[in-house]
Amino acid sequence: MKRKILSILKRSLAWIRKHKLGTAALVLVLVATAPPTGSGQFLDPCCALLAAGLTTISNTLSSVVGGGLNSILSVEQSISNFEQQVVWPQGLINQARALVGNLQASFNQIQTLTQIPVNSATLPGSQQLEQNLLSRNPNQIAQTTAAYNAVYGTVPSETDAPAQVRDLVDMTDAAAQAAMKRAIEIDSLADLELQAAGQITASVQNAAPGSAPILEAQADAWLIRANAYTQAATADLLRLRAVDLADSSAELKIGASNTANLRQGLINLLQHN
Amino acid sequence: MHLTVFVACVVLLFLSKGLAANVGSRRRLVAAAVAVVLIATVAAPPPAQAQGSLIAAVQAVLNVINGVIQTALHAISDVRAAGRNLYQSVAWPVELIAQARTQVLEMMNRYRNLMASILSINLKSATLPAPQALESLMRDHRINNFSSLARAFGNAYRPIPASADASPEDRAMADMDDALALDNLKTLKATDSATDLELQAADSMENAASQAAPGSAPFLTAVATASSIRSQALSQKMLAAELRQEAAKMAHGNELRKRGATFTLQLRGVLINLLQHN
Repeated sequence: MKRKILSILKRSLAWIRKHKLGTAALVLVLVATAPPTGSGQFLDPCCALLAAGLTTISNTLSSVVGGGLNSILSVEQSISNFEQQVVWPQGLINQARALVGNLQASFNQIQTLTQIPVNSATLPGSQQLEQNLLSRNPNQIAQTTAAYNAVYGTVPSETDAPAQVRDLVDMTDAAAQAAMKRAIEIDSLADLELQAAGQITASVQNAAPGSAPILEAQADAWLIRANAYTQAATADLLRLRAVDLADSSAELKIGASNTANLRQGLINLLQHN
Repeated sequence: MHLTVFVACVVLLFLSKGLAANVGSRRRLVAAAVAVVLIATVAAPPPAQAQGSLIAAVQAVLNVINGVIQTALHAISDVRAAGRNLYQSVAWPVELIAQARTQVLEMMNRYRNLMASILSINLKSATLPAPQALESLMRDHRINNFSSLARAFGNAYRPIPASADASPEDRAMADMDDALALDNLKTLKATDSATDLELQAADSMENAASQAAPGSAPFLTAVATASSIRSQALSQKMLAAELRQEAAKMAHGNELRKRGATFTLQLRGVLINLLQHN
């Protein structure tokens, strides 16, 4: 192997000796086509110019962009501080949530108070009617008339009372029964309102300042609804009193009619004698 | 540069062929040419770049920074500053927030105790022992003494007559009247108690309002509105009780009318019979 290499070298040297000019030309061609060397980073005018340009850009970025961003940051920090300390202070938000939690406990007590049984009747008929009236169950309204009639009786038959008295009795019974039925409805609605109010309060306890107004809007809507139910109950009360007033007036009318009839009867009696 | 060196070397080689007759001189010439090429290649400076385009590029970047970017940053800064001013001067001015809190405190001091004292004025007016006991029990805001109330009610209004002393209709009606009256007195005791809780809740909410921030106030308003719903529900309970009571009162009168009509007809029949017999 060694000999082989030596032999190849000897033959190459012999060839170079024979073709000196060709070898020189080959060297020249190789040198000419060799890639350019990397330029030195020192003492290079182009690099110096680039460095100066980059320094200028860096300085400008620092002053113009950095300064501008600092100015924005300063305003943002000021806004952030204002929002955290004045508009939405976490401490006060937590306090408000805690208060809602405490109030929820009071409101639960109120709800319990409205469900305390108050039944007081002692006789079977009145117990039945009272049970129905205090049931707070709209499904019980269908039984109200029967329980009412068991205590207050029905409209007298045609043979037992004159027509005008029967009308009066029926109208008064109707108004009284309607008011009793409305009372059952209103009790039931009030229970549902208390439930809804409890649900809204529980949601407020877990709300954010941005979501609390949504719950408030819902509560406002419920309040309007509650006002409407109160108005419905007040309207029934007014109807009841209107019927009562008309009742008194009808008593006067019947009394006048009876007096006139009695007078006529007496006149007839005296004339016969 | 490389091309120039190359051409120079080739010229040197050709000249060396003609000028140098002996082999030694030619060799030296070739070696010199090769050395010249190598030195020229190594020492030659790199090709010159266009320096004018680099300066223009740097200037262009500077123009962008000083122009578009600076203007945009100023604009953003101005907008945010305007937003801050809006927040602090229009939306949530600290002075007005403090003023509102002060007003809450002033109104608390001015009205709370005054109104509480008005509501707690003693209204009791009964003079005899039984009515006094009943009056006291029906106004005590307690819900754990309903049996005492029922006893006091019985003492003041007397119990339902025994079956031997009154007709079944009269007993039923009296029992119903008493029951509804007593039911409502119990309901009112519970409602009075609930009213006390509502007033306490209102005080708590007002206390919190005196320290609230714009961001915590929505919690208070939401819970206050929910309390208003409860308040309405309690009012409705009382209205329902009033409806029952008024209805029972009318039903009572109507029942008497029914019996009156029947008695009148019976009396008329008796009188006619009497007159006919005479």
